[in-house]
Amino acid sequence: MVAAPSAASVIALVEEHRPVGPDAFLLQLALPQLPDSLAPGVFAMLSPEDGSGPEIARPFSLYDCPGPNQVSFLIQTLGCGTRALAALPPGSAVRCTFPLGNGFQVAAAERTVVMVAGGVGSAPFLLYAQKRVALGAGANTHFFFGARSGERLYDRQAFASLAICSHFATDDGSLGFAGNVLAAVEAALADNTIPAEALFLACGPAGLLHGFASFARARKLDAWLSLETYMGCGYGVCNACPVPTEAAGALGAWPYARTCTDGPVFSLRDIQF
Amino acid sequence: MLRTQIGDLSLPSPLLTASGTFGHDPAALAFLQPGDLGALVLKTVTPEPRPGNPPQRMAEFPGGVLNAIGLENKGLDYWRREVAPQLEQVSMPVVANAGGHSVSDYVAMVQAFSAMRGVAAIELNLSCPNVQGGIQFSTDQNALAEVVAACKSQAQKPLWVKLSPNVGQIQPLAIAAAEAGADALTVCNTLMGLLVDWRRRRPILANGTGGMSGPAVKPLALRLVWEVKQVVDVPIVASGGARCADDVLEYLVAGATAVQIGTASFRRPQAISEIAQELRQILEQEDLSLQELRASLVWPNPVSC
Ligand SMILES: Cc1cc2nc3c(=O)[nH]c(=O)nc-3n(C[C@H](O)[C@H](O)[C@H](O)COP(=O)(O)O)c2cc1C
Repeated sequence: MVAAPSAASVIALVEEHRPVGPDAFLLQLALPQLPDSLAPGVFAMLSPEDGSGPEIARPFSLYDCPGPNQVSFLIQTLGCGTRALAALPPGSAVRCTFPLGNGFQVAAAERTVVMVAGGVGSAPFLLYAQKRVALGAGANTHFFFGARSGERLYDRQAFASLAICSHFATDDGSLGFAGNVLAAVEAALADNTIPAEALFLACGPAGLLHGFASFARARKLDAWLSLETYMGCGYGVCNACPVPTEAAGALGAWPYARTCTDGPVFSLRDIQF
Repeated sequence: MLRTQIGDLSLPSPLLTASGTFGHDPAALAFLQPGDLGALVLKTVTPEPRPGNPPQRMAEFPGGVLNAIGLENKGLDYWRREVAPQLEQVSMPVVANAGGHSVSDYVAMVQAFSAMRGVAAIELNLSCPNVQGGIQFSTDQNALAEVVAACKSQAQKPLWVKLSPNVGQIQPLAIAAAEAGADALTVCNTLMGLLVDWRRRRPILANGTGGMSGPAVKPLALRLVWEVKQVVDVPIVASGGARCADDVLEYLVAGATAVQIGTASFRRPQAISEIAQELRQILEQEDLSLQELRASLVWPNPVSC
């Protein structure tokens, strides 16, 4: 299946860049219109309309909807695609195909949710946290956010100011728990801050996700991942973003799933990762 | 204004999707306006399901992309059951694209597609650089002629043959395909290339090599279109790096009847509609018709030095 026709490809205008760390920024765009309801974890394919970027657009999880017809994306400046976006002054046109992908289902209020993010992997979780707060479930919503150093806990104030349980971890110990974010999750499981029956959601760099996948498998956690696989189109037509499926899982009828349209959010049960 | 005739097939526009760049089914048509797309060319189908290559399947370079998808597709039975019925609801011509390893594979695909009401024409992908087997069909004129003739004898729909650019001389292959009964030639598939991650001492793609597409290949594909036009009379469908109306007009002037838009649709799902609009504007402003532009290239006189 290709992306639901609800996805549209439009010209968005850059409203603001806000640096949120030494190598990351929030890109705020104005869209002609915005769908009524957006699941956390849906993504957009973005590229400069003036052709200053590469041939292929880049996928970014929706970070926030700051106002009517406004969306923002958390972007780490890494390669030619993100550098081209970073260089666009306010008023520039951005090609934006949105909303794409399945996104995370927001769990019922009774269920404890544990979000685990590294670096810009926090992107899908701001909306998720907001939706949990709206459900009155902030108290059993945990957000574990890890980075190399405190200044790379991008925009952490946005999470800290929400009525959820935020847990920060830094490798250099400059802020919060000293060590890996998974070690922080492990400690919280050990002292019953979080129950093993919680719903675990993770997003971040490949190293973190692989670590999280083995961690979750070993403990038989109900775990879901948002993958950051390289994508060619983002809307299901090019077959460049395969993820191997688990034969016994819901996607097992075919050896590969498409990250863009079957995901980017997958249950760990359904993929080989 | 854009209406285009390829043999017996009348298309609303000279702009087509390129196989493998607009999906396995009609779903992505939702991004396009009716009347802008001439025909929906779908991803290659093979007799048996193919899982495709492991990742990494695509990588970029300045000016284009390299891909080795490996013809991932669910096979003919699935396609007949799940995709073919959807095509009958589609308001524009659909071109089914056939892959295989042997003459009998291709003949089986042509027979099957011929029986499907929603299929308007059949394109033979004899030229995918990313799969084992069948390479002789794109490089050896006798093998090419044999498979095209065998398919033509079974085809009840127009038969298009997609040629490979990965050959020394394309003209003998174009002649062989046309003489064996091809109703149109698609020129051309991707160019075999390699991208290297020197730190890891590995190719970037899991398949090793891949097929180049995107703007970087346009000059080469333009040359091939022009060379093919010199030796055959069948319509030519150009494919390679087109992303705006100027590119399309260049192909038409060089001898193409229609142009496929591939890689450009990745970044801009509605690229074909935007190009169609741009084309209408240019034709109107400059008071030109597609008809008078086609194959109008004036070749410079050779200068001796
Ligand atoms: C990701 C990708 C997948 C492709 N898959 C097929 C395919 O299945 N069958 C085929 O005949 N051509 C395939 N092609 C080649 C295109 O149809 C087209 O001929 C080529 O990309 C050149 O055009 P472009 O520069 O406009 O993309 C593929 C190209 C790309 C980039």
